[in-house]
Amino acid sequence: MDTLETAVDRVLRGDSAAFQLIVDATSRKLVRLGARIMGNQADAEDVVQEAYVKAYRALTKGGFDRRASTATWLYRIVVNGAIDAKRSRKRRGEASDLQLESGWDGAALAEARVALTELDDWLSALPAEQRAALVLQSMEGLNNTEIAQVMGVSEGAVEQRLVRARATLRQKRESS
Amino acid sequence: MTDLEDIDRRLARLRDATEAVHESPAFSARVLQALAAESAPSFWENAWFSSRRLLPVAAVAAALAVGWAVQVDRSADDELASSYASVGFE
Repeated sequence: MDTLETAVDRVLRGDSAAFQLIVDATSRKLVRLGARIMGNQADAEDVVQEAYVKAYRALTKGGFDRRASTATWLYRIVVNGAIDAKRSRKRRGEASDLQLESGWDGAALAEARVALTELDDWLSALPAEQRAALVLQSMEGLNNTEIAQVMGVSEGAVEQRLVRARATLRQKRESS
Repeated sequence: MTDLEDIDRRLARLRDATEAVHESPAFSARVLQALAAESAPSFWENAWFSSRRLLPVAAVAAALAVGWAVQVDRSADDELASSYASVGFE
């Protein structure tokens, strides 16, 4: 059993301090996933923090049934949170929070930030769930079955979202 | 190159360019602070836990109060009975 599942076992047995092991083992990957969907790191950190609080609540109150792996379950909470946040931002007509984090320095991170902005602009025409499906496939390397598990929809629905997302991006390219 | 290949190439380029994204140094502390706030008992939880400790005392106090009430009621009945008994009909 890997570190993550062992840490979950410990939290389920009442050792809530072991939740920090879960945060340490997953925060890098989840913040990157959140940033790719949200388009910036600050919003991603808000979404991932909220996801951890939800996960902690579920683990300590018996809301995690372990039907999915812990990694898939955490991905699902983050993706759902990011989709909700994207939708509510769009409804309120808010721009993304481009506030820079003090911990961001160095050329690689500066380039990554520029790339996130480019990604956000490019994918802005897509509905949040299509954007999330595209990010999960093309950037996180998940296959359609895994995306379906994370997003809680059928593989057919995933396929449809990916086809529509690509069609929208193609149209956008032709019209520009 | 087709449009789809173009889209996939751009996605791959942006995937590589965003690989370096990671959480800020303060992130872990922020999460732990949020979890601590989540774990802290609410006002009503505090009230419930405090009241549970006082439950035996409250039970004894309630039993004494009932006993006292019954005793007072009996003495009142006795006094009323003696008052009625003293009423004279002329």
